[in-house]
Amino acid sequence: MKYLTLASCILLLTSVLVYAQVDLYGYLEPQYSAFYRDSTFYQTNYNKLRIDLKSTAVKNTEFGANVIYLLYFGKKDWNILDFLPDHIISMIPPETYPYYQLTFNDTFFLDNAYARINIRRLALTVGKQQISMGTGYFSNPTDVLNTKDALDPTYEQPGHNALRLDFYIGSRVNLMALYTPIEFDWENSGKLVRAKIGIGHFDFSVSGHEYQHTSTNFYTFQQTQERRMLIGADFVGELLGLGIWGEGIYNFMENNDDNSYEFIVGTDYTFESGLYAMVEYHRNSLGKPTHNEYFLNDWMRYFTGETKTLSQDQIYGLIQYPLTDLIMVGSSAVFSISDQSFVLIPMVYYSLFENVDLTLMFNFYIGEEGKTFSSTLGNGGFLRAQVYF
Amino acid sequence: MRKILFINKLALFAVLFMLQIAQLHAQDNITAQDIINTMTETMNPDQSQGKMKMTIITTSGQERTFEYETFSKNQGEKSLMKYLKPTRVKGQTILMLNNADDIWVYFPRTKRVRKLATHAKKQKLEGSDFSYEDMGASDEFIEEYESVRMKDEKKEGHDCYKLELIRKPKSSAGYSRILMWVDKESLVPVVIDYYHDDDPQLMEKQLVCSDIQLIDDIHTPMKYVMYNKLDNTHTSMEIIEVTYQVDLPDDLFTEQGMQK
Repeated sequence: MKYLTLASCILLLTSVLVYAQVDLYGYLEPQYSAFYRDSTFYQTNYNKLRIDLKSTAVKNTEFGANVIYLLYFGKKDWNILDFLPDHIISMIPPETYPYYQLTFNDTFFLDNAYARINIRRLALTVGKQQISMGTGYFSNPTDVLNTKDALDPTYEQPGHNALRLDFYIGSRVNLMALYTPIEFDWENSGKLVRAKIGIGHFDFSVSGHEYQHTSTNFYTFQQTQERRMLIGADFVGELLGLGIWGEGIYNFMENNDDNSYEFIVGTDYTFESGLYAMVEYHRNSLGKPTHNEYFLNDWMRYFTGETKTLSQDQIYGLIQYPLTDLIMVGSSAVFSISDQSFVLIPMVYYSLFENVDLTLMFNFYIGEEGKTFSSTLGNGGFLRAQVYF
Repeated sequence: MRKILFINKLALFAVLFMLQIAQLHAQDNITAQDIINTMTETMNPDQSQGKMKMTIITTSGQERTFEYETFSKNQGEKSLMKYLKPTRVKGQTILMLNNADDIWVYFPRTKRVRKLATHAKKQKLEGSDFSYEDMGASDEFIEEYESVRMKDEKKEGHDCYKLELIRKPKSSAGYSRILMWVDKESLVPVVIDYYHDDDPQLMEKQLVCSDIQLIDDIHTPMKYVMYNKLDNTHTSMEIIEVTYQVDLPDDLFTEQGMQK
């Protein structure tokens, strides 16, 4: 009886998928990570399954959704205090120590679920959707919805509940309006407008974004919300044969006069040999100019993604070389100018089979304790497979 | 009505084009530039839509197969490629405007559009032996090279015009020199030898075009094989289906079109 029910369910699901002309695809991503710190070897791993559904059966409309199942194994319980400098830990009230325990629990969630309706030059997207903005590689100042991982900045970002309207005025001119609701509260919900124009070999954008930012005080674990108004711009193009881009914002804070700014500029080039080189300079005025000014809130807001960087100025570099037609080797590096620390991230990418990719990535932190890329954070790496179906 | 007008326009274009070829045949003293101009017109019809299969044979002898849809307009000045297979790259779309001087890539998994600079034209397309430049720059032979007619030769069983193309000073084209054999009958290139960016004597790649068929009155090589002489790899590209009787909307060649 149980098997009959299961078979009926599969048959029903298959019929629905076929009838609705639904594409079913996704990937399995096992990742094995290991690192070494304080004379101890740790391994923390996961298996990630992402299943995507997409249908364009209704004219001019696209339905898309994906679910993610994350299954952790290896070391799953962590204490964030282990990664903080001693002088910071000494300032933390002992009764709050339990709050610094972190456990990676298996999760299953709907990452995206949206409908996109195209009506002539308009495209309306409603639902939980991926949103990306800006031209930067290491960081996107104009994008307050996502925070990139410095070690792996191109990894996919989560979906956001939003209502998005794109108006394609001309071949290289478009307007975007985005509404990200917070509990159906119009005033506190996020509102963004962005205009983009292409001129010659350049694309330019300007944007305005009013949004609510949440800050946590990690001494008391109390959260405060504040309204911020962001004015931003970005460009991408080329000059003297080099690819160039830049992105910057100015943030007006509602509750204090401590307005902030952030920008990134970058350039890249592909040599005849296939060697690709890129460098970016990033400044975040919310970061600190020296490591002596890193306090508990700075560290924790950096770890939790509330702020994008710990230090004020950093340089990101990337080189990649196609060793063979299936193997790409390279390395990225981030140098914190503010605190003179450095992380080197060598990587090897191998296309094992047509739909199977392997990525081997290492991280070597080279910095004193208390600096952004302190060697006490632990050196190691991961092997990630991506099996697409 | 619009469709009928378009088809009439296409028929007129085909007749004029055939007359042009006939005129070229009648002349024995035709210049290299005439041949290049006519060949470029042949290879870049006003509009086209097709489905292609690309097979890469890697250094280790492994095979990688890709399938994609292609759309082009304004004699190839605008083109769009959308991957259909394998699933790893399905939906990934490349938009090339201004004869591939401006390239955007759309990654469906991250919903991100990234603009590439001109230097990226040298990068391999999905690890194949074709670069973005090989795929997109429709007028490159005219704009970036000075051409010289050499002694006619027979190549791959075809009577051919042999041409030498030398890169113009200050050009950003990726090859220093090109040798080309153009079939006298169809004005389609049969073999193209591409020479290294820094060394005009070092052959980097060789393109062999075969199975020339008349589709919608336009001579079309149905198979292309690019041999990489330095890496000892090759990539073949076959046209699964193609039509030139289309009226593609301009909206297709935009950021919106990439995401549809």
